[in-house]
Amino acid sequence: MGSSIIKSSCGTGGAYEELPEGLEKELMPKHVAVIMDGNRRWAKSRGLPVQLGHIAGRRAMKQLTRNCKKFGVQVLTVFAFSTENWIRPKEEVNFLMNLFEEVIRSDMEELIQNDVRVSVVGNVGGLRPSLQSLISSSSERSKDNKGMDMVTALNYSGRHDITEATKQIARKVKDGVLGSVEDIDETLIEKHLQTNVIEESSYRNPDLLIRTSGELRLSNFMLWQSAYTELIFVDKLFPDFNEGDLVEALTLFQKRQRRYGGHKY
Amino acid sequence: MALNCSNNSRFLSGFGVRVFPQPGKLEFDFARLIMFLRWLEATILDFGDEMHKVYMWIWSSGDLGLRLLWHILHLILSTWYFIIGLMGSVESFLISSGLFKRYRDLDISKVQYLAVAIDSDEALQTLKVLELLRWLEAIGLRKVCLYDTAGVLKKSKEALTLLLKNERMSSETASDPLVEEKCLSLEVISFSDGKQAVAKAADVLLKKHYLSSNTEKPKLTESDMTDALGAIGYREPDPDLMLIYGPARCHMGFPAWRIRYTEILHMGPLKSMKIGALIKAIHRYTMVHQNYGT
Repeated sequence: MGSSIIKSSCGTGGAYEELPEGLEKELMPKHVAVIMDGNRRWAKSRGLPVQLGHIAGRRAMKQLTRNCKKFGVQVLTVFAFSTENWIRPKEEVNFLMNLFEEVIRSDMEELIQNDVRVSVVGNVGGLRPSLQSLISSSSERSKDNKGMDMVTALNYSGRHDITEATKQIARKVKDGVLGSVEDIDETLIEKHLQTNVIEESSYRNPDLLIRTSGELRLSNFMLWQSAYTELIFVDKLFPDFNEGDLVEALTLFQKRQRRYGGHKY
Repeated sequence: MALNCSNNSRFLSGFGVRVFPQPGKLEFDFARLIMFLRWLEATILDFGDEMHKVYMWIWSSGDLGLRLLWHILHLILSTWYFIIGLMGSVESFLISSGLFKRYRDLDISKVQYLAVAIDSDEALQTLKVLELLRWLEAIGLRKVCLYDTAGVLKKSKEALTLLLKNERMSSETASDPLVEEKCLSLEVISFSDGKQAVAKAADVLLKKHYLSSNTEKPKLTESDMTDALGAIGYREPDPDLMLIYGPARCHMGFPAWRIRYTEILHMGPLKSMKIGALIKAIHRYTMVHQNYGT
């Protein structure tokens, strides 16, 4: 049975982690983005309240994060809440906001202790103050961590991301930080996108984007950043997305890299 | 492209052909069979490098028995590929012949705007692109956006439009007064119409909303960006469905602003395109229900 041996990313020295068979360290995507879709359908299919679907989704997200860190992924971005999700029933939205606070208090705390740098992208100002405070605190406390980057897209919209980048540029031009308007090009917009929370610039665009639940669209997620991203759409609902499914997705990605040499457009 | 095609146990349990005899008609479900065959093909391809090394070793060994075994194995694999190709062609023929009721009753009105993104190297196959456009027109689509990163299709646009027009004029429908309405409206774009266009729109917004006013903080909205894109000539609607032809399962830099809710399907290489697969893809889209965040 073959398996790749990689050095543990936790920097403890001398500790080794094995990659599942078929995966190669050199071909591992640096940045994986996941649209965590299907929590409500998972609950409804079991005759459960949707809140239990979101709780199951939380467990799956925790496992996903651990597995990505284990496999050597440098950046994991998850789409937790879209600007369009506010139209859901108030009860569900309130539950989700409470859940996000709980996730930051416990799950994110665990990640921070494990050298993971946590950050949130999206219209954070549109979230409740208590959640904003927790986000700010966790980002600040983990900013010097050198392990994996864990980015959560909350109240996020790809179009809003692009518009906000334009606003920031406008502010800088007005303040004289930038020169004339002719200086604006796509590189400048890219530098002002919210994914710039990721320190390593070459990791800011996802190499691989996985969407669960069988839907075949981006739903306003990382529209600009996903130009050259390998898209894999999985039929499974997110709470059922396990380590084996992640390995399959990574294997598919690596097969393409081997076959086409990571052809970039 | 769907991940379920790589799961062994699900594949083996779903392998086979279902036959539902109806008076005078037979319906075959090739979907799972094709997916299994593609998975097997991908697995075999993975051994490509190893097999090449084995072949070099056999050849240099001089052993005639091994060489014969190799040729037999090669013959088996070639037959396998032939069968895979044949299955795909048969399925495509059955679909395009209208033998499957669900594909015959295609509700094309749900696809208001179709985008086709083609790998720039493959976009050089102008005749293939023309054939694809013919199929789309025959299926009933009226508004299509062709995209490739390098702008190869922009160079071919005039030729494609002319060839399509000539075919229309020389066909039986030429005398039909409504023939122009039934023609394909073609938009052809490239990478420069994506990110660069947004950068230009940002310029417009700066000049219009910010630099000429006394506001401290710009109150730019997504609607403003859409309007600005329209002001510089980008008024076409967002595609409902995008078909990707090429080796990569990515949208190759298609204008980011326009693909918020676009359904994205990877169709494989352009040279292997089949009308049956095209109809299936469009049919699949017509069955989709979008939540839009709810």
